[in-house]
Amino acid sequence: MNDAAPSHLHATSGHHAPATPASPVLLARDVQRTYRMGRVTVPVLKGAGIEVRHGEWVAILGSSGSGKSTLLHLLGGLDRPDAGTVEFRGEDISRFAPRRLDRYRNAHVGFVFQFYHLLPELNVLENTMLPATIGVGRWEWLRRREEIRERARGLLERFGLAHRFRHRPAELSGGERQRVAIARALMRNPEVLLADEPTGNLDAKTGESILDMIAEQHRAGLTIVMVTHDQWIASRADRVVHLVDGRVA
Amino acid sequence: MGIYVQLLVRRYLTTRIIPLIAVAAVALCVALVVIVVSVMSGFLDNLRNSGRTLMGDVVVSYPVQGIPHYGTLIRDIERLPGAAAASPLVDTYGLIRMPYPEGSNKDVVTAQVWAIEPESFARVTEFDRTIWWKPGTAAEALAMREDDPRRSIDDTLHQDALAMKDRATGRPGAVLGMHVSVVNQRQRDGTYRPRVDYWWMPRHEITVTLVPISEKGTISQSNSRAFKVVNEVMSGVFQVDKNRVFIPLKDGQELLRLDEAPIVDTTAEPGPDGKYPVVGMSPARATQVLVRAKPGVAPQELKQQVTDAYEQFYLRTAADPDARVKAPSPAYVSILTWEERLRDLIGPVERERQMMRILFSITYLVCAGLILAIFWSIVSEKTRDIGILRATGASRSGVLAIFLHYGLVIGVVGSGIGTGLAWLVIRNINAIHEAMGNEVPAFVWVGSYLLAAGALVMTVRAGRHSRALGFLLWTVLTLVTAGAATGLMLHKGFLIWDPSVYYFATIPSAMDWTNAGITCIGAIVFSVLGAAVPAARAADIDPVRALRYE
Repeated sequence: MNDAAPSHLHATSGHHAPATPASPVLLARDVQRTYRMGRVTVPVLKGAGIEVRHGEWVAILGSSGSGKSTLLHLLGGLDRPDAGTVEFRGEDISRFAPRRLDRYRNAHVGFVFQFYHLLPELNVLENTMLPATIGVGRWEWLRRREEIRERARGLLERFGLAHRFRHRPAELSGGERQRVAIARALMRNPEVLLADEPTGNLDAKTGESILDMIAEQHRAGLTIVMVTHDQWIASRADRVVHLVDGRVA
Repeated sequence: MGIYVQLLVRRYLTTRIIPLIAVAAVALCVALVVIVVSVMSGFLDNLRNSGRTLMGDVVVSYPVQGIPHYGTLIRDIERLPGAAAASPLVDTYGLIRMPYPEGSNKDVVTAQVWAIEPESFARVTEFDRTIWWKPGTAAEALAMREDDPRRSIDDTLHQDALAMKDRATGRPGAVLGMHVSVVNQRQRDGTYRPRVDYWWMPRHEITVTLVPISEKGTISQSNSRAFKVVNEVMSGVFQVDKNRVFIPLKDGQELLRLDEAPIVDTTAEPGPDGKYPVVGMSPARATQVLVRAKPGVAPQELKQQVTDAYEQFYLRTAADPDARVKAPSPAYVSILTWEERLRDLIGPVERERQMMRILFSITYLVCAGLILAIFWSIVSEKTRDIGILRATGASRSGVLAIFLHYGLVIGVVGSGIGTGLAWLVIRNINAIHEAMGNEVPAFVWVGSYLLAAGALVMTVRAGRHSRALGFLLWTVLTLVTAGAATGLMLHKGFLIWDPSVYYFATIPSAMDWTNAGITCIGAIVFSVLGAAVPAARAADIDPVRALRYE
C-alpha cells in the first residue's frame, strides 16, 4: 500500500527518528485531560499511557466515557494533554507549535471517525483529496494535481468506489461513506491510522467489510490504533489496551 | 491561500441559497447608493454646464444702473489672450402681456427679460443650440415624430431668432423660454406640441413692459413695447425656460432708459423752442457683459484678466466725470465666474450630495450586519466541517481564510452586480420614469391575476396535503401577486421628477464611475468586516468539540 503512493504524498519524516519494528511510533506517558463543562470539570484521562509500535494494530477497548476517544485525539494531535507527554517517534507532539501540529495531523496520521465526517459540499473525489489540497502549496498543486488526482482515484477504485467519484456523500450508503473516509485518511500515506469506532454506525456485515479493509492496510504495514467498545471488534487487533475510567487497566 | 480554501468557498457559494441572499443584499445596497449619488452628481454637472451654457465663463455685472461705454470695455476684453468673445446684456424683470386668451383681457406674466445682441450673445453662450423651432439636420428631422411641428417648418424662424427680428415685417422680435407661455405641452419623449394649434406662439405678438429705475433709485414711468414672437428656447433648465424672455438690446435699453441720451440742464432757462439746453450726453449702458473663455482657459484665469482689463478701463476714463464708469468694487461692479454666480445653488447641492453619501453609508453597515448574521449561522451550521478540516490538517488561519475569502467574494460579486444594475437603471432612468407615468397595459395586470389564481390553486393543494410551509409560502405568493395585480390595474401613472421642482426637464442619466468605484470598495470592505467576526469564531473552534457537535 505505502509503496504505491507518490513520494510527495508520503509523510515527511525529516524531523523524526526512523521507525523500526521494535521502536514505538506513538507513545503516551501518564497523560491527563480534564474538560470543563460550564462550571463543572470532568477529568477524562487520569494518567493513561499507551505504546504503539511500528506496524502494530492496537485496539483501545473501553466503555462509553472511559476516555478512549480522548486518548485517540491526543495521539492524533487534535488535542493537547493537561499533563503527561505524547510522543511521535520520540518527539513530544504536545510541545509542537500549532503549525507543526497541523502538519502532523495532515501528513503523519489519518483519522477515521464513527460518523464518517465527510464534507457534504464536496464530491467523493474531492473529499478524498482534501488532505492533499490542505497539505500542498499552490505551486505544488499546479505541478502535481494530476498525480494527486490519480492517487485519490486509485484508492477509491481499490475500495470499490470507481463509479462514485462525482457523487456527494449524501448519495452514498453508510459503508460507502466510511470507505471514502478511509481513502481520505490514507491519501497522504500516513504512518498511523487512527480509527474511532469505525464500524459503530454500520450494520454487522458492512462493519465486517470495513474491518477487512483496515486489516488489509495493516497487512500492508500500516500502524493502526482503533478505538472500540466492542470486545469482538477489538479481537481483530494485534493487541488490546483496556481503558477504564481514564486509566489503562 | 490554500487550494482547499478556494474549493470550499466556490462550493459554499454555489450550493447554498443563503450566500445568494447576501450577494443580493450587497448588490441592492450598492445599486441604491450608486443610483442616488449618480443622479445627484448628474444634477450638479447639469447645473454647472447650464451656467456656462447660459451665461458664458465670466460675467461683469453692474445691476440696474448699468455699465457705460460697454462697447469700449468689450473691445478691451476681446483683445485679452484668454477671451474668445464678449457680449452686452441688459437684465431686468418685466411684465409680459400674452396674446391669449381671446378677447380684450389677456394674460399677463412676470418674466426675467434679457435684452441681448443676438450675434455676439450666440458667440458667448449656446443660444443658437437652445433655439427650439428649427427644422434641424436631415437626421434630426428624420428622427422627429410625425406630429412634431418642427417637421413642417423651414429655417425662417431660426434665422429670425438669431436676428431677434421678424424679418418679414421688420418688427422687433422676442424669443420666449419654452414654458413662459402656457401653450407648449411637453410630450413624454421630450418634444413639444402646442395645446391648441391656433396658439402656437411664433408670429403672435406680446407686449413687454419694463420699469426704468433712475441712478437715484427712483422708479420712473413704465414703458411698453410690442414684439413679434419669433421663436422659443429650450435650455433644459426649467427655471430659465419658465421665466426668461429675450428681446433686442436696443429695445431693452430704450424701455429702461439705458440708451444714449442728451443731458439737459433743467435749472437753466429753456431756449426759444421751449427745450432746456443740452449740457452733455449720457452713454448707453448694459447691466452685464458676458465673456466666453478660449478653449483651455480656466474661468478663474479669465476672471483675473477681465478684472485687470476693467481696472484699466476704469483708470482710462476716471478723469472724465461724464464717462460715469464705476470703480471695480463689489459695491458697484462685480466680476464673477459662472460658478461663483451659481454658488448659492451649487453649494447646497454639493453639501446635500455629501450628506447623502454619509447617510447612505449606513447601508454599508446594513451589508456588514447582514453578512455577519448570515456567516454566524453558516459557521454554526458548519462547525463539524471545521472540525473535519482541522482533523485533516487545516490551520486556524486556513479556516479564517475560508470565511474571509467567502465574505470577500460575496462583496465583490454583490458590488459587481449592484454596479451593473445601477448602470442599467441610470442609463434608462428617464425611460423608466416615463413608463411609470403611463397606465399599465391590461395584459400585464390580467397576467398578474392569472398568476395569483395559479398560486391560489397551489395554496389549496398544499392545504389539502397538510404541508404547512408550502401552504404558508403559496398563501404569501397569492396575496403578493393579487395585490400587485390590483395595484397595476389601478395605476394611472404618476411622475416623480417634476421639472418645476428639480430645475431640469430630464433626470440626469450619467453614471458617476468614481463614486461607483468608492461605493464598491466600501461594500467589499464592509462585507469582509462583516465576515471577520464569524471567521474568527470559526478559527477559534476547538476541533474536538467541533467533531462532537450535533
